[in-house]
Amino acid sequence: MNEIILSGRGVVKHFAGLTATDNVDFDIPAGSIYGLIGPNGAGKSTLFNLITGYYDLTGGEIRFKGTSLAGIPTYRRNQMGIARAFQISKPFPALTVRENIRVGAIFGRPEKVDHEKVVDEALAITGIADIADRTAEGLTVGTLRKLEIARAIATRPSLLLADEPCAGLNPTETQEMVNCLRNVRGKGITVWLVEHDMKAVTSICDRILVIDAGRKIAEGTPAEVVSNPNVITAYLGAPIEEPAA
Amino acid sequence: MNRSLALLLGLAAIVVIAVLPVWIGPFYTRVAQLFFFSAALAIAWNILGGFSGYWSFGHTVFIGMGAFAAAHFVTQIGPIGSGPFSMVLPILFAGLLCGLFALVIAYPILRLRGIYFAIAMLGVGQVIGELVNNIRWFQGGVGVFLAAPAPGGMPPEDFFYYIFAALLVACLIISVVVRNSRFGYALLAVREDEDTAMMLGVATERYKILAFVLSATLVGILGAVYGYSVGYFTTYTVFRLDFSLNMIVFCLIGGIGTLFGPVIGTAVMLFLTQVLLSRFLDIHLLITGALVVAIILLVPGGILGALKQKFAGRAAVRKSVEA
Repeated sequence: MNEIILSGRGVVKHFAGLTATDNVDFDIPAGSIYGLIGPNGAGKSTLFNLITGYYDLTGGEIRFKGTSLAGIPTYRRNQMGIARAFQISKPFPALTVRENIRVGAIFGRPEKVDHEKVVDEALAITGIADIADRTAEGLTVGTLRKLEIARAIATRPSLLLADEPCAGLNPTETQEMVNCLRNVRGKGITVWLVEHDMKAVTSICDRILVIDAGRKIAEGTPAEVVSNPNVITAYLGAPIEEPAA
Repeated sequence: MNRSLALLLGLAAIVVIAVLPVWIGPFYTRVAQLFFFSAALAIAWNILGGFSGYWSFGHTVFIGMGAFAAAHFVTQIGPIGSGPFSMVLPILFAGLLCGLFALVIAYPILRLRGIYFAIAMLGVGQVIGELVNNIRWFQGGVGVFLAAPAPGGMPPEDFFYYIFAALLVACLIISVVVRNSRFGYALLAVREDEDTAMMLGVATERYKILAFVLSATLVGILGAVYGYSVGYFTTYTVFRLDFSLNMIVFCLIGGIGTLFGPVIGTAVMLFLTQVLLSRFLDIHLLITGALVVAIILLVPGGILGALKQKFAGRAAVRKSVEA
C-alpha cells in the first residue's frame, strides 16, 4: 500500500452556529487520484480551505507527510508541496499565461531549478503552450481551467487539490481536463479532486470520499460509492414510503 | 532596445541634465527641479501602489515626517560635516525614521485592502500632520528652518536641481531592480490576486511590508531634501494632501504599475500646469481638472498603457500578414 500523503482526524469547522465540516477523517494515499464529492453546500471547498490554511480548524488535525499543518501559513503549505487549483479560475489577468505560471515556478517549493524549464513543462502537461504569450484576460473557461492547473503544478507540489476543474466545460473540454489530470498524476503528483461531473470522477478516481452536510457518509472505489444507499439518498433524497393500504 | 543603446541614451540624458540649467534660466530650472522631485515621488509611490496595488492616499505623511525629522536632527544634534555634506546624515535619518514608522504601522494597516487601506493611509497622514502641528516640541505650527548649504557660489535652484535629478535616477534604478526581481514578481502577484498569490507560495505579508517600507523610506528621503530646498516650512507646507494626490494622478496619467509611466505622467502634467497653463492663472485648475478626467476616460491604462496596446495591435497585424 502507498504511504499516506495527507490525513485528517476529527476535522471540524464551525462558522458561528453552522457546522461546515463535522468530524471528518480521511487518508489520501500518495500517487492516487482521490475524489471528493457531495451535494452543493456539503463542505467540500471548506475542507480544501482548511487544508490550504485559508480557514483555521475549529477541531481535529490535518497532517501532510506526517507533519501537522497547524499554525502553518498558506504560502508555507504550498512550499511544503500542497497546491490548489481554484473552483472559480483566478488568473492574474494583466500577466501573460507564461508569466502567470512563472509566479508559481518562482515561489513554489524552494529548490534550485530552472524556472523557465518548469514553466515549459507545466505548459506541455496542460497543453496550453500555444497560448503562452497571450495575456490571461479574455481566455476561454476551458483554457483558464488548464491555466489554473498549470500554475499550480509549476509550484512543484506533491499534492494537487483540484476544485471542480471540469465545471462549465463541454464534453470535449472535460475529456481534455481528465487527460490533463492523468498527466499530472503521471508526473508523480497526488490529485485530490472535487467534481460534480460523475462521469469524469468515476473514470479517473481510484477512490472517492463522499460528504454531506459536513459529515463523511461514504468512502470507497467509484463502483462502491455510486451504489451506496447513503450516497444515493444524499443526492436524490430518501424514497417516498407508500402509505399502508 | 539593446544594452549599449540604452547606455548611450542614458549617458546623453546625463550630459543634457548636467548642462541644462546654464541655458534655461532660474524659472525653468525650478520647474525642472519640481519635475525631478515629483517624478521621484511618483516612482516611490508606484513601488507600493502600482506594483502591489495598495494605493496610499496619505503618502504625504512621509514627506512631512522626512522634512521635520531632518530639521529636528539638525537642531537637536547639530550639523555633522560641512557644506553640502552636512545634509547627508539628516537626510538618511529622515529616510530611516520613515522606514521604521512604516514598519511599525505596516502589519495592522496592510491587513486592509483596496479603498480601506487608501482611506486608512489618508487618516494616518491627517493624524500625524495634526500631531506635528499641535505638539509644541515639533514646532509644526510656527515652522522650522533647514539651511541649504549649496557649494560655494552655486545658486540654490541649481544645487537642488542636481540633487533631485540624482534622486530621480536613484529611484528609477531602484524601481527597475525591484520590478525585475523576485520581489517585483511577488508584488505583481499580490496586485493581481492576493489569495491566489498565497496559494502559489508567495509570502504576501512579507513582500507587502517590504514594499511599504521601501516606498516610505524613499519618500522620507525626498521629503527631507524638499525641506532643505524650501529652507523654512510649517506643517501645512509639507503635510499636503495635494502631494499625495499628485503622486497618484501622475502615475495614473503615465501608466500605473509601469516603470516609466510615473515619469511620463509627471512630465505631461507639469508641462501642462507649469508651462502651458501658467498664463491662464484664473482658470488653470479648471482646465487641469478637465484634462485629468479626459485623459483617464480616454486612456484608462495611462499613456504607456495606450502605447503598449497600440504597438501590440500593430505587432499582431504584422504577424497575421506574415503568416
